[in-house]
Amino acid sequence: MKLFTTRTQHIWLFGPTQLIIVCVVIFPLIWAIYISLTDYSPVVSPAKNFVGLKNFIQVFKDDRFIDSLGRMAIYSGFGVAIQVVLGTALALAFVKYIKSGLMRAALIIISLLPMMMAEVVAAQMWYLLVSAAGTFNNILISLRLKPIEWLGKDMALGTVMLADIWQWTGLTLLIVFAARISVPEDLYESAELDGASEWLILRKITLPYLATPVAIAALLRFMDSYKYLDKVFIMTYGGPGTATELPTFYAYLVGFSYFKIGYAAAMSWIFGIGAVLAMLIFWQLMKGKRTGGTR
Amino acid sequence: MNAVKKKFDWGKTLVFTGIGAYTVFVLFPIYWALNSSFKDVNDVYTIPPKFVPSEPTLSAYEWLLKSSARGAFLDSLIVSSIATGLAVFLGLLASYAFSRYPGRKLTSEGSFFNLLVVRMFPPIAFLLPIYWMWKYLGLIDTHFALIITYVAFNLPLTVWILRNFVDEVPRSLEEASYLDGYSFWQTMRRTMLPLISAGLAATIALCWIFIWNEFLIGYLLSGKEVITYPAYLPSLRRGMRIMWNQIAAISILASIPSVLILFFFRKYIIRLYFK
Repeated sequence: MKLFTTRTQHIWLFGPTQLIIVCVVIFPLIWAIYISLTDYSPVVSPAKNFVGLKNFIQVFKDDRFIDSLGRMAIYSGFGVAIQVVLGTALALAFVKYIKSGLMRAALIIISLLPMMMAEVVAAQMWYLLVSAAGTFNNILISLRLKPIEWLGKDMALGTVMLADIWQWTGLTLLIVFAARISVPEDLYESAELDGASEWLILRKITLPYLATPVAIAALLRFMDSYKYLDKVFIMTYGGPGTATELPTFYAYLVGFSYFKIGYAAAMSWIFGIGAVLAMLIFWQLMKGKRTGGTR
Repeated sequence: MNAVKKKFDWGKTLVFTGIGAYTVFVLFPIYWALNSSFKDVNDVYTIPPKFVPSEPTLSAYEWLLKSSARGAFLDSLIVSSIATGLAVFLGLLASYAFSRYPGRKLTSEGSFFNLLVVRMFPPIAFLLPIYWMWKYLGLIDTHFALIITYVAFNLPLTVWILRNFVDEVPRSLEEASYLDGYSFWQTMRRTMLPLISAGLAATIALCWIFIWNEFLIGYLLSGKEVITYPAYLPSLRRGMRIMWNQIAAISILASIPSVLILFFFRKYIIRLYFK
């Protein structure tokens, strides 16, 4: 019989997927390794001179790149931390204080609305509000207050961060909410019978149960805020100056605006390896936590 | 004296104020885009701002139907629908292979993990070489290049999600179907599809939204002939007179499908995030 014993069925089932991924992802990546070892820059010359690891070393000597890493630490570190804390707090508040099921559903759907929009659309909506002659400043002026340079040198990164918080707090909220309502209710009942304070219940029951989902939400958001450059592209295009130039946006400029292909390819590989390393480190940390016996 | 009177609960008031403030924070930008999209361009930025359009007009939406924006929406619709169809179809076959032939070299756990790596890399890392590949083949600015690229980027997702659903279907059903003499395709249609239909629908919805909302791939592989709406959006900000009401109208129109999907699939999408 041919029941799950055929030699070839899995090959033609998985083959097309594998073929597309090899052609569109793996093959270009290998080409990128080759090109990263050359000084290829079509606007300067069509020649591809072999330069060894020079591009890779150059990346770490590039002040613009190092500065962009610092901005990423603020944008992805601080920005995501706010999203995760805010989302967790809101989810816990929904469970504790909102008793009507309809009200809960409505609040959650509202919180998820921004998440369903394209990053560029979210950025565009915020741009309508925060541009120099935008709505926020018009409100300030009509209240006889001084307009604020939302996208000026000092505030631009914070403003883009605000748009990101606006869009993605819902993700943490959703993940934590679902985890919180799956915590067995009798744990809370017995704790209350024992006369435990609310603070103690939060620390000893709720937070340990939520540690894993919160960590997953933080990881998802961290990786995405590192990966996507859409908001910066629409709201500030890296500016003013380099005030909002995140690493991926800098790589975009090097590759598609300055056309230093060899250098950009080296940078791309460093980003990719960075992402996978971050993922693996996180995975190990999670494993360590799990043995703590929360789940 | 007033022992019966309830003490004013500061904590509770604070929490409700916080929830209320967050709701306003979330809704305001959406409301403002909606508000602006019904204004004349001269009414978008006024001091003081108009919280309700004084002379509501559909001119921004009328422009959308007549201008190149319509083509951008059509291209987005074509690309995201075909790419979703392909990614889900191939993803279903692949996840079936992973589920039913786990030990084989091609479909081992390592191979499954490799798929996930594709998802972890930042898109910019792939896009540089992918752009040059399509350029070399002369396929920039075609539906084909966009569709194939989106399929490649979303296959890891569909395989990953669908595998959970396929794993839950007992093998004995397929065995019985094969014994009855049905072919592979008939078996898939008779036993597999009805059992995973809900998961399949949610996967289609999620995958479609991802492609519909994607910017950078669309921006780099688009051109004069074919352009997705997120790639089209930045072009409206160039030029002397920026039509803010039209930008607002595009933002609103582009968000409608995703919001509808969220509303109809809320249960499944929420569940998918935990798979």
